[in-house]
Amino acid sequence: MDTAAPGKNTAARIPLDPRTKLVMLLAVNIVLLGGGFSGISVIIRPMLAFLPFILLLSEKKYGKSVMYFIFIGAALSCEGFLVGRTQGLLNLLLVIFSGLNTRFVPGLVMGYYVVSTTKIAEFIAAMERLHLPQSIIIPFSVMLRFFPTVRAENSAISDAMRMRGIQAGGKRPGALLEYRLVPLLMCTVKIGEELSAAALTRGLGKPVKRTNICSIGFGAADCFFLVVTTCALLLWAVF
Amino acid sequence: MIEFKQVSFTYESGGRESGLSNINLTIRDGEFVLFCGSSGCGKTTLTRLINGLIPNYYEGRLEGSVLVDGINVSGVPLYDMAGIVGSVFQNPRSQFFNVDTTGELAFGCENLGLPADEINRRVTRTSAELGLNPLLNRSIFALSGGEKQKIACGSVAALEPHIYVMDEPSSNLDVFAVEDLRALLAYWKAQGKTVVIAEHRLYYLHELADRVIYMENGQICKEFSGRDFSAMKRSDLYDLGLRVLSLEELRKLAIGQTNKSSSFLSFSDFYFTYPNGSEVLDIHKAAVPEGAAVAVIGHNGAGKSTFARCLCGLEKKCRGSVKINGQTLLQKQRLKNCYMVMQDVNHQLFTESVLDEVLISMEQEEQNLAEEILEGLDLLQFKEVHPMSLSGGQKQRVAIASAVASSRRIIIFDEPTSGLDLQHMKEVARNLRSLSERGNSLFIVTHDPEFILSCCTHIIQVEKGQIAENYPLDECGIEKMLGYFLDAPREQADSKRKQKVV
Repeated sequence: MDTAAPGKNTAARIPLDPRTKLVMLLAVNIVLLGGGFSGISVIIRPMLAFLPFILLLSEKKYGKSVMYFIFIGAALSCEGFLVGRTQGLLNLLLVIFSGLNTRFVPGLVMGYYVVSTTKIAEFIAAMERLHLPQSIIIPFSVMLRFFPTVRAENSAISDAMRMRGIQAGGKRPGALLEYRLVPLLMCTVKIGEELSAAALTRGLGKPVKRTNICSIGFGAADCFFLVVTTCALLLWAVF
Repeated sequence: MIEFKQVSFTYESGGRESGLSNINLTIRDGEFVLFCGSSGCGKTTLTRLINGLIPNYYEGRLEGSVLVDGINVSGVPLYDMAGIVGSVFQNPRSQFFNVDTTGELAFGCENLGLPADEINRRVTRTSAELGLNPLLNRSIFALSGGEKQKIACGSVAALEPHIYVMDEPSSNLDVFAVEDLRALLAYWKAQGKTVVIAEHRLYYLHELADRVIYMENGQICKEFSGRDFSAMKRSDLYDLGLRVLSLEELRKLAIGQTNKSSSFLSFSDFYFTYPNGSEVLDIHKAAVPEGAAVAVIGHNGAGKSTFARCLCGLEKKCRGSVKINGQTLLQKQRLKNCYMVMQDVNHQLFTESVLDEVLISMEQEEQNLAEEILEGLDLLQFKEVHPMSLSGGQKQRVAIASAVASSRRIIIFDEPTSGLDLQHMKEVARNLRSLSERGNSLFIVTHDPEFILSCCTHIIQVEKGQIAENYPLDECGIEKMLGYFLDAPREQADSKRKQKVV
């Protein structure tokens, strides 16, 4: 049974180069994981935190982008306004909530954006332009290919668990993780094995210069996002 | 030309996959050869020797030599065979390296380092020839099984090999997609390509085959010319454990089984829409006899799977209700009263032993009762075995056992016979009949008319999210059901031809 969202078109609405996406991913992670709410961070952190929102919006993922906007908005305002004005247990809870979420969620959402909008061929082409060796490119491209597969398998397993009443509050809650991981591993290993066989019979790994028919390269949008993120990163690092 | 000279092979891993012994065989250029035989007869192994996956990927002990165009396959790396032999595999889910269709079509050519202009030319030409244009620039995850298999064929065709090797390519396809596959194979044959195909479903192939090779225990057992094979009687085929050659034949096989139950299982207000608006289910009222084995048929994308998911209570937003035995089941209760045996049973086996798998499904864990259930499904000898180490059919039976143990009254099967040979199909049919005898109501989503005739008692046909037909499988019903499977592909082919003319 096909559980993936049907009818999805893979063509990105704002065509960004995979390298731009990686730079943004790095910038978002570095700045937000770094934390802090003083000096120039007051502007830079929210700015980068809202970057994934804009990108998701450009992909017409309205529901997800709005949810993210509200969530991260709440977390950031907590950190900025409430943490300094509360005390005791409430303060502790707010620190944990806002601290964890503002640090990790933007990076995760950004990662989701990169994975869901980058074609494998584009990714390989971009990595080759960066002159990375095949031994790095192929495993990473396989990983990128595997995210959606793991997600599809995982959701099928979730369905089966719900149907059998194997869930938190049900029988043997201690073994829940095992029950999920064993079939997931078995299924992904099997798919991986068949996938490699199929790829090898189509010449993957031939020691020649691999061609790429997809066109990647920097456009106006790339320049804009690159300049913005690099400036943000530099300002944050310097001040 | 493909030559097997004194070839024997044993897999290193042991396992269930059977090896080959003493194969001598020559396949001429332009020949269309069909390999058949029950599961584990070695036909898959044979295809792997031609495309070089053995011994380059699957390891084991190989004796003798396999020559393709005079090249010793075991002596060259896989990528050197890529332009000569094109391979299409069984599982459409696991053949794709890319996540977009166009990238996938170009993938092989890119690997071989062909110039970009040449690749673009090939991709354009292949998609025109195989009718893939509507599928270009789509996400692989948004395609149906049939569409995925078409892209897999296209991706191989773009490499322009002169030999095509296919391992059970129709396993996961419905009758309509099989019809498309048949047309594609006929096209390759007309182009003078060599086609080697291992398959269980024979009805779509036997007229194309120049030669049919029947295998048993890793050996070539019988050889037929295509014409002789097509003329074989059904009883002779059944003796060999082979599926029917034409769906027409099934008319003679048909035994009307209907369910005489007077009470009904009824559905009301099954409405469901996916968030993106695709695939809707829209069933206001419907009823089937209680305790029937209901085959759910219909086109791909007609809503059969959605219906099955809603029936199971897996879709929270489907608020409809099911009335059985005077009891009304809403979504949450259905989740407790229905059980789905999934197409990939690996998704639903969680524990470390077969016995555990049954125990965990019981309200009160009772070892004796569990063993009784296992006994009934011929699984008692495996009670301490890890479910994942069983064969596909055995795993399916473990899933059935856990359904029985949880005393669910409605059991749903999602394509339980995809890729099964005659013997295993009959085994599944037997299991289903015994579930029926226990008084369970069964719903079986299937594309397999032979299977329907061997265990179902009622048919519902889902089209465009609605129940288009709902009839018992009596004499009249059998005629109607076979009519659907026989005529639908023809109609489809006709309408395509008309489209082309326009």
